[in-house]
Amino acid sequence: MIGLPEDYFVYPHRRRGMDHARYPYRILPRTSPVQWPGGARIALWVAVHAGHFPMDMPLKPFTAPGGMERPYPSFWDFTQRDYGSRIGIYRLMQAMGSRGVKGTALISAMLAREYPVLMDDIAKAGWEPACAGLDMAHLHHGGVAEADERAWVALATSLLRGRFGDAVQGWHSPAHSESHRTPDIVAGAGYAWTSGWLNDDMPYAFATEAGTLTAMPLPQDLADQRMLHQQNMATEDFVNAVLAAHAALDAEAKATGSGRILTVSVTPWLMGQPHRIRAFGAMLDAILARGAVWSATGSEIMQAWRAQPG
Amino acid sequence: MLKTPGHYDFMPWRRRPRITWPNGARIAFWVAPNIEHYEYDPPPNARRMPWPRPVPDVAGYSWRDYGNRAGFWRMADVMARHGVRGSVSLNVAVCDHYPEIVERCCELGWELFSHGTYNTRYFYGMTEEQQRAVIRENRETILRASGQSMDGWLTPAISNDETTQHILAEEGILYTLDLLHDDQPTPIRTRGGQRLVSIPYSLEVNDVPLFVMRNTPPDRYAAICKAQFDLLYEEGADSGTVMCLPIHPYLIGQPHRIAALEEVLRHVTGHDKVWLATGREIARHYIDHHLAAHDAWIAEGTP
Repeated sequence: MIGLPEDYFVYPHRRRGMDHARYPYRILPRTSPVQWPGGARIALWVAVHAGHFPMDMPLKPFTAPGGMERPYPSFWDFTQRDYGSRIGIYRLMQAMGSRGVKGTALISAMLAREYPVLMDDIAKAGWEPACAGLDMAHLHHGGVAEADERAWVALATSLLRGRFGDAVQGWHSPAHSESHRTPDIVAGAGYAWTSGWLNDDMPYAFATEAGTLTAMPLPQDLADQRMLHQQNMATEDFVNAVLAAHAALDAEAKATGSGRILTVSVTPWLMGQPHRIRAFGAMLDAILARGAVWSATGSEIMQAWRAQPG
Repeated sequence: MLKTPGHYDFMPWRRRPRITWPNGARIAFWVAPNIEHYEYDPPPNARRMPWPRPVPDVAGYSWRDYGNRAGFWRMADVMARHGVRGSVSLNVAVCDHYPEIVERCCELGWELFSHGTYNTRYFYGMTEEQQRAVIRENRETILRASGQSMDGWLTPAISNDETTQHILAEEGILYTLDLLHDDQPTPIRTRGGQRLVSIPYSLEVNDVPLFVMRNTPPDRYAAICKAQFDLLYEEGADSGTVMCLPIHPYLIGQPHRIAALEEVLRHVTGHDKVWLATGREIARHYIDHHLAAHDAWIAEGTP
């Protein structure tokens, strides 16, 4: 029997800390306490996935969550997602605006070309515009050529900065997928924060070749796209899970005296449906009713976090 | 290829020699936190690719990383609050990467057993000598990091090969968790006749299948775990049962799920005939008090 090659038993990164150089190991309960404006216990960050799913999007090397599920040309899948940009996102704006809840739109930059009016309305809603790549057909992953990846980031950035200017500070890698070099390219393009990594409840410094990014917490596990679409759960299950997360984080903030972040990751074509939008509003009401909530955009939370002493 | 594992005898549930637990407990309840490191850029294995997406699988990697940064600490606090010790299914490289985690486990009086070196290094395709070398190195690492003897084993990602159980027995491992055939400990047959027992693990109340594969919301998870406990507690009046609660910090330690663990542990510890044990304690008790009777019953043809 030949067995496995010798290098299968070599562990070049077996040492204290991480097996890459992006950030040191950090223990959440041992981080310095964070104080939010107004003494809030919870920074509420509503991140809205304003995604564009082209009908001819590639399904390899993996299908993006929310990607086309039926054979080309799937009007079924395309139009269901496109509904979000026409109807669903406006319901979210109304539900959030009427409650004074801010948002960050994670925008497929091609939408700035496809639907410039939607960009105007995002600006009018007071939402922060952040870049979620070109669209869901352009996933950043280890198999993408460096020249292509650089061109995608440059085009996406110029599309959104062309409309919103320097307000575009955040980058969200679509499908939480990146190549080894994505953070370097993104930092080089002048972004301040990213939300592709799922490993913390609080921001942390993320090293790149082009300076330090702030990694913002955006869970995939607690997101309507995963729970309602991929996992086929009921609306109530998603809402209850968000409220359970809020209760746990709020209790931690009380116990430790350190603020926490509740990130609500929602998708217009899912949470903006008629049968769900009231549950969304009721969920926001329940969050606000607990008190000591600071509703903020991603950049505002990042700035408050960066301004902490120590 | 084998048609069956061949490691255990048929032991029907009726008239099986009775198991009793310390202090008249009906059930031995043990919690197995899987404390793992999945490598950023692991080597390929012919039978299983470590990540579903091209490397780096940022979504997969960073999700697991959450467990070590945040989830473990939250989970450990809840367990400590309920007086429930863990028996850690440990990727032993965690001792090198995150010694703070191992220190916390030891401070809480938890048992450490091996779940391989990394969860991205599978046993599939290893020679016997290669498997043996990993097992020995894992034993040394656990001893060095905690002073504990490595008595239990769960093959990383349950990637055991045909000969793994034989080698575990030959290397002096007390109990294996790679088999899911029973609600009680059972003897494991190995080629050299060395003693090895199986302790019930679980994929039914394991948070990975429930949360990731079966799309279970947190409150439903708690209900399933409580139902599992209630029935085994009831049946344990006749013969002592075992319930293992395998958990993963990156899943159960999420803010939206931690209350579900709290609810399960509150339910379990609210019963008086429960033995809150570790894997090693269950294995030792079984070996000392019941293994011989089970072996004899099997030899008689399970009358």
